[in-house]
Amino acid sequence: MKLRLIDSSGERGISGALNMGIDEAILGSVSRLEAEPTLRFYTWSPPCITVGYFQSLEDEVDLEVCRRSGVDAVRRLTGGGAVFHDAELTYSIILPLGHELAPDDILESYRRICSGLVAGLCHLGVTASFESINDIAVGGKKISGNAQTRRVSCLLQHGTILLDSDPEKMFSLLKVPAEKLKGKLIEDVKSRVTSLAFLLGRKVSAAEASAAIRQGCCEAWGAELAEGELSPAESAAASSLAAERFSSPAWNARR
Amino acid sequence: MIARKDYKVPGGKLIRVELEVEAGVVRRAAVRGDFFAHPEEAFERAEAGLVALRVEELPSAALRFFGQRGLAIFGAKPEDIAFTLEEAVREAQAD
Repeated sequence: MKLRLIDSSGERGISGALNMGIDEAILGSVSRLEAEPTLRFYTWSPPCITVGYFQSLEDEVDLEVCRRSGVDAVRRLTGGGAVFHDAELTYSIILPLGHELAPDDILESYRRICSGLVAGLCHLGVTASFESINDIAVGGKKISGNAQTRRVSCLLQHGTILLDSDPEKMFSLLKVPAEKLKGKLIEDVKSRVTSLAFLLGRKVSAAEASAAIRQGCCEAWGAELAEGELSPAESAAASSLAAERFSSPAWNARR
Repeated sequence: MIARKDYKVPGGKLIRVELEVEAGVVRRAAVRGDFFAHPEEAFERAEAGLVALRVEELPSAALRFFGQRGLAIFGAKPEDIAFTLEEAVREAQAD
């Protein structure tokens, strides 16, 4: 199996709208057979909250606090819940349906793709396991969330590897049902979520994490990764999707 | 009347329903949450199908629409959505 690798984990992060635009632009080019199946690693600057396709950004996120804190907020193409993207490595993978990592069975495709992340975490000294539907956990605590959509005859899955976590900051940006619940929710997250920094007792950079995950993906998938970059057409499509879709109220406030 | 209900599916995701109801008829319906549905557009068509129904018809229609072949929902079952819709209406009517 050969995949194009686009790794920007060692560079300055990318805005939320552009990150989502790039993922969708690659989805388009892979669907039109203009690009090889692609694995991408990236980070976010400024930090960003994304919400799932079926969530209301307005209901889930305190947009005023985000604006004041310089945090972006974007609705994703994929389902799932709200995620605060700050100290994390993010990946996306775009495959034509029917690819060995993209069988008809959606849960099986999560399992197969996540096997690369699990193997990669092992290289960092972390014993993790896939937890259906869409999580990867270490000792029962979540370290990675993953979300998949299938459109234009392709699979797009993106997901996170937590480098560090800051539930207090996350909940300052999210709307919670009642302010008095906030403390309990923060404690819940602390008991259910972990990070590489917490597990290893040291800071792990996105670039270090992506090197390990790349290796894990090669082993677990039997993949050969060919370093590449976005084509000019993909870059242009990503910019216009970022501006016209992922920055627009018509998309972000649609649900 | 606006009818709202949040329901955390045991072992699953959170369903957040919001309905605008006028004279017993649904004028607007939103079924939101952190679940996954494939394809997403099929879910949205099922959701749009709730509009113009009488509130009593919601649970059975939800079972049919969200349980249709070709629509896969992860983290919530059609029964959970039907239940949330029914509870939203019941609570709003009780207010």
